[in-house]
This record gives sequence, structure tokens and C-alpha cells, in this order.
Amino acid sequence: MKSVVTTVVTAADAAGRFPSQNDLEAVQGNIQRAAARLEAAEKLAAGLDNVTREAGDACFNKYAYLKQPGEAGDSQVKVDKCYRDLGHYMRLINYCLIVGGTGPLDEWGIAGAREVYRTLGLPTNAYIEALTYTRDRACAPRDMSPQALNEFKSYLDYAINALS
Amino acid sequence: MLDAFSRTVVSADAKTAPVGGSELASLREYVQDGNKRLDAVNAITSNAYCIVSDAVTGMICENTGLIQAGGNCYPTRRMAACLRDGEIVLRYISYALLAGDASVLDDRCLNGLKETYIALGVPTQSAGRAVSIMKSAATALIGQTNTPANGGAKYRKMETTQGDCSALVAEAGSYFDRVIGAIS
Repeated sequence: MKSVVTTVVTAADAAGRFPSQNDLEAVQGNIQRAAARLEAAEKLAAGLDNVTREAGDACFNKYAYLKQPGEAGDSQVKVDKCYRDLGHYMRLINYCLIVGGTGPLDEWGIAGAREVYRTLGLPTNAYIEALTYTRDRACAPRDMSPQALNEFKSYLDYAINALS
Repeated sequence: MLDAFSRTVVSADAKTAPVGGSELASLREYVQDGNKRLDAVNAITSNAYCIVSDAVTGMICENTGLIQAGGNCYPTRRMAACLRDGEIVLRYISYALLAGDASVLDDRCLNGLKETYIALGVPTQSAGRAVSIMKSAATALIGQTNTPANGGAKYRKMETTQGDCSALVAEAGSYFDRVIGAIS
């Protein structure tokens, strides 16, 4: 799992040396920003179901055709799966906030996503709309502190960029 | 390879649950004690040569048969291999301490180590003894409990802020115990 610490350790191990001062400074920088990340993760975990529901609603409002026969959301089962997927994205973003890197999104969300969506005939722009809505809807200090919000939004943007 | 944070994430993913509430408490502890942890890693890396050479010579002093003809530290070529292995083990322990998780130690150092030692005819009991001497030295340096009486000519105290680091000493000790457990 890619994170600052594992990256530092992998590099040190490849060179066969003990962690150097540079390595310790890199980890220290990661730790300094950790408070905001953990706050964002905590708030997101607490409101995960609501955030997911609002994001899904926004998506189906904008792309109402998705619920027409033959489209990706033409039955309740399929609609539920859309919400479930959005919940997965939010959960992976929660993980990224914990780890302090994009490892969880990369390994469990983005790798292979394009192929799967193409096979299933799912529109990625619907996911982008949902994630964009979440990004623009979140605000400080109502939802979380400004620094935490900044961390949260950067991972939302990362997911959006990967899907588009 | 995992660290304290990704370990939490991997176990949360197995339940498809977000990380929140109580699981965050232990991570906040890691963050709070971050500087102590870096000082602890520094205490090991700065004194690596001393820790390793003392452990290997101590092991030999207790069992001088090792450097007699037919012993496993005879001739110098084999003692050099022993010193090298001591440094490798200590290096992976320093990685594990930095990450706050033993996975890097398990995956990259301990996996298959016992079988390798048995195949090469290395006495695992002696190797375990060297690791336990390294444990004493490293934990004394981290916890600043070393004394001139124990340290002798090599006595050194790390100049760090005074505070309670018993949790880190225990964590570092557990990685050494893990190595001993894996090879014995």
C-alpha cells in the first residue's frame, strides 16, 4: 500500500541503508498534516451514508434519462448498485485520508475501473457528476475545518480526474 | 508493505466499513507521538554499528566455541557474514519501528529466515542471543535507561527531549522478540 512511510522504507531498502535524516524529515512532514486528514476522515465516516445519498440524488437529477428503460438505472436494483458504488468511492476516499496518499483509491478503485465500466456499459460522467456535486457541496466550517476540507476535496478531485 | 495507517485501512476494507470513531484513536496516538518515534528510529540508526558489533561480540564471548576452528564464526569470512546479518535484521527492525507495523519485517526479512539458517547450518540459538543483546542495547538507547556502568567505554546518551516513551520501548522490543520467535 503506497503511503509516505512505505515509499520512504521501500527506497531505503532498495539502497540497503538505514532510514536517513531525509527519510525521517519526510515522515515528519506527513505527520504534521495528519491532524487535518484524520479530522476529514472522521467527519466523512460519520456522514458517509448522507453524503452518498446526496451525491447519488444529484447524479440522477442531472441525468434523469438513466432511469429510462434500457439505461444503466432502469430498475431499483441497478439504482441501488449505483448508490453502493458511490459509497465505495467515499469509503476509499476515507481510506486515502487515513493513509495520507492515493494508495487505496489507486489499488481498489481506479485500477481496472475503466475496463469494468466499459464492459457493463456504465457512463463514467454520471459518477463524475456525483463526485463533483459532493466536492462543491462540502463547505467549511459547516462540514469540517478548512484544512480538512482541502484534503477531502483533493482526493475527490483525484477520483474525478481518474474517471474523466 | 503496510504502515500503521494502511493496516487500519486494510482491516476496515475487509469489513467494507469506513475508518472512523475508535479506530482513529490509535492513529491519533501515532501522530501525537510522531516525534518520539522518529527520535527512537534515530537512536537505532545512529548507533547501528555499535549495537550490532556489541551484540555479535557479546554472543561470541558467551560461547567462545564459535570462533574456534569448526565454529560458525570461524574464520573471519563467516564472522563478517554474521555481522552483516545482524545489521540487516536491525535495519528491518528500524523500518518496522518507523512504519509502526511489523509487515515489512515479516515480508522482507523473517519470511524463510529460519529455513535459510537451518540450511546453512547457522546455530539459531546463538543468532537469537545476538538479537536479544541488540534488543537490550536498542531499548536502552531509546528509553535512555543506559548507564555508564552498562555502556562502558561505548556509553552514550541520546540528547532528546525527556518524556515518557515506554510505549515505544515496548513496541521496539516486540519487533526484536518477533525476530527471536521467528528463528527459534
